[in-house]
Amino acid sequence: MQVFDPNKITLTKYLFYTGKGGVGKTSVACATAVCLADSGKKILLVSTDPASNLQDVFHTTLSGKATPIAEVANLDVANLDPMQAAAEYRESVIAPYRGKLPESVLANMEEQLSGSCTVEIAAFNEFSNFITNKSLEQKYDHILFDTAPTGHTLRMLQLPSAWSNFISESTHGASCLGQLSGLESKKEMYKTAVETLTDGAQTTLILVTRPETTPLKEIERASRELAELGVLNQSLVINGVLADYDDTISKSLYDKQQKALADMPKLLQSIKAYMIPLRAYNITGMENVRSLLTKDNYVICGETIKAESIPHLQDVIDDLYHSGKKVIFTMGKGGVGKTTLAAAIALGLSEKGQKVHLTTTDPAAHLKFVLDENSSITMSHIDEHVELARYQNEILSKAQETMSEEDIAYIEEDLRSPCTQEIAVFRAFAEVVERAENEIVVIDTAPTGHTLLLLDSTLSYHKEVQRTQGDIPDSVRKLLPRLRSTETEVIIVALPEATPVYEALRLEEDLKRANIATKWWIVNSSLYHSKTTNRMLVAKASNEIPWINKIAKHTNSNFALIAWTADDIKGDKLREL
Amino acid sequence: MKKMQIFEPAMCCDTGLCGVSVDPELLRISTVLNTLKKNGVAVDRFNLSSAPMAFVNNKVINTFINEKGVEDLPAVLIDESIVIIGRYPTNEELVSLLEVPASYLTETKAAKQGGCCCSDGNCC
Repeated sequence: MQVFDPNKITLTKYLFYTGKGGVGKTSVACATAVCLADSGKKILLVSTDPASNLQDVFHTTLSGKATPIAEVANLDVANLDPMQAAAEYRESVIAPYRGKLPESVLANMEEQLSGSCTVEIAAFNEFSNFITNKSLEQKYDHILFDTAPTGHTLRMLQLPSAWSNFISESTHGASCLGQLSGLESKKEMYKTAVETLTDGAQTTLILVTRPETTPLKEIERASRELAELGVLNQSLVINGVLADYDDTISKSLYDKQQKALADMPKLLQSIKAYMIPLRAYNITGMENVRSLLTKDNYVICGETIKAESIPHLQDVIDDLYHSGKKVIFTMGKGGVGKTTLAAAIALGLSEKGQKVHLTTTDPAAHLKFVLDENSSITMSHIDEHVELARYQNEILSKAQETMSEEDIAYIEEDLRSPCTQEIAVFRAFAEVVERAENEIVVIDTAPTGHTLLLLDSTLSYHKEVQRTQGDIPDSVRKLLPRLRSTETEVIIVALPEATPVYEALRLEEDLKRANIATKWWIVNSSLYHSKTTNRMLVAKASNEIPWINKIAKHTNSNFALIAWTADDIKGDKLREL
Repeated sequence: MKKMQIFEPAMCCDTGLCGVSVDPELLRISTVLNTLKKNGVAVDRFNLSSAPMAFVNNKVINTFINEKGVEDLPAVLIDESIVIIGRYPTNEELVSLLEVPASYLTETKAAKQGGCCCSDGNCC
C-alpha cells in the first residue's frame, strides 16, 4: 500500500476528513495541511468539531475566523465552534433591540434563540460560508475540513441537501424555520454548498481509519451514505499501521491489524487507499505534526509511575453500586472505548443482582457487537431517524382525532423541519433517563462534541419547560433535576495520550458548569503494563507515563487503568477488564 | 371585516412543533388562521424571535410589553386596541371580532371547488 504523501497526490480544492472518533482525523488533516503549506501552497484548515483539538495541536488561540499559524507559513486555521457561532448569531439578532425593548423581553428572545436547533443552523451557516465563499476560494489553494466524528459529520454533510429540499418544498412560506428568519435568503448559498460537495472535481472525501475492525466497518457506512448523497470522490487513509514485529506484543498487534485489513469491507476495497505508519509519539507540537507523514523518532520518556496502587474497573463498579447510582454515563473523546466500558459497567452491576438498562446516544455505536441482552440487561439505541418518525406519528395521530385533512397537511409540513429532529432525539433521551425510576441506566454517549450539544439543549429546553404550557412529558420535566442529583454520575473515559486527556479535562469543566457530577476516570488501552520489548512500542508505552501521572494527580487517584489487549473486548471478555 | 394582529412570545415557529412541547392551542390557531388566509382574511402574527421589530414599531404593543413584559403575551389587537391578553382567541371570538362568516373557519373556497392544491384558492 502506498504511503500517504499529499505532495504526490493530485488534490481537489476542498478536502473533508471523516472517520470514527480517535482514528486520527485531526492529526492526518493537520499533517496534510502543514505538509502542503511547507511546499508553498496557501492552505486553510477548518475544524467543525464542537470539541476541537486544533488549539492543542498548534498551541494557538483560534476562533471562527481564519487565524495565521506563527510556526507555519502559508497556513491559516479556523476553529468553528457551533456554540460560539450560535452565540454570535444570537447577539446579532438581539443587539439592534437593546434599549428599544425591555430587558425581560430581550431575555425571552435570547432563551428562544438558545435551542440546539439554533446551534445547528448557526454552525451550518458558517460551514456553508467556508465552502461557498469566492474570496476564500481564490485566496487558498486547498481548504481542509477536519470534521467532527462520523455520526455528526454525516448529519452536517447531509444538511445541505436536507435544508435545500426543505426550503424548496415548503408551501406555506415561513414554515418551522423559526430561529433563522433570514434563512430563505441563503437558499442560493446552500444550493452552491451542495453542488460543491457533490462535485468530484472540487471535493474529495478522505475516509480516515485505523487498521481495526470497528473503525473500518464504520467508515464503510460513512462511505456508502455519502456516496448516496452524491459525494463520490473518496480516498481511504489507514492510519497507524505497524510495519513489522519482534516480540509477542508487537506480533499480536501486527496480526490483529493484518487480519482487519484482510477482512476489509468490500466497498472499501474499491477505493484508492494510502497508509500512515504507527508512530511512537503524540501528535502535538509542530515537530511531531511535521514528521507524522515522514519519519518516526523513538524518544523514551524517563518518567516513572508515581501512584502506589492503581484501582481496577471492578473498584469503579463497586463504588457505583455502593453509592447507589442510577444514571451512569460514559463520556469522552471518540475512539477511547466508551461503548465497551459502558457495557462492562452494565455487566458488572447486573452481576451484583441489579436490573440494568444499557443504551447509547451515539448514532454510530453498536451495542450488540459488544454484549448480548439477557434477563437482567436490556439494551436500546437512540436512532435519530427512528425517533423523528416516532415523534411525527405521535403528533399526527393526535392531530387526526380533531383536524381536517388540510390542517394536517399544514402540520406535516412543520414536522419536516430539521429542528423537529432535535426535539425528537431530546425527548427520547429524556425517556431513557426516566427508566432510572425502576432500574439502573447506563448510557454510552456519542463523542464529546455531540454530547455537549445534547447537554446544551437539555439546559436550554429546561428553561423553556419552566415557562411553556402545552403538555410536557414527565420525563422531560424531570430530566435536568435528575441529571443534577446524586443519582447521576459521569465516568470520564480517556487514553493515556495528550488529545483524549485534554478533551476530557474540558469535558469535565463543562459538566461542572452544568452541575453534573463526575468522580472516576477510566484510562483505557494502556501499553504500560504490557511488558513489550518492541522498540517502537516501548517508546510509546513510556510516553504514556506522564499522562497517567497527570490523571492520577488530577483525579486524586480516582482512576482505573485498563491494559491494552490484542483481543476484541466483547461478551465474557468484558468481565476480565 | 376588521384587521387583527396577534403578538406572541418568542417561539420557534407558528405551530411550536420544534419547541419543547406540543401546545394544542398553537396547532389550532395556526391551522384556523391558515384556513382564514385561504378565504382572503389575513391575520398577522408577530412573535418575538422572528419579528421583534413589530414590537418596537407598534406603539400599542410597545407600551404593553414595557409595562407587563412577556408574561402576559400573547396579545390580540383589533385595529389599534388590545382585546385579548394571555391567550389566543377562540373560534367564536375570531368570527365575531373579525366580522366574518363562521364558514370561513371550516371550509375554504378552494375546497368547495373540489380540493385543489393551490394556496391562493385558484385552481391549477
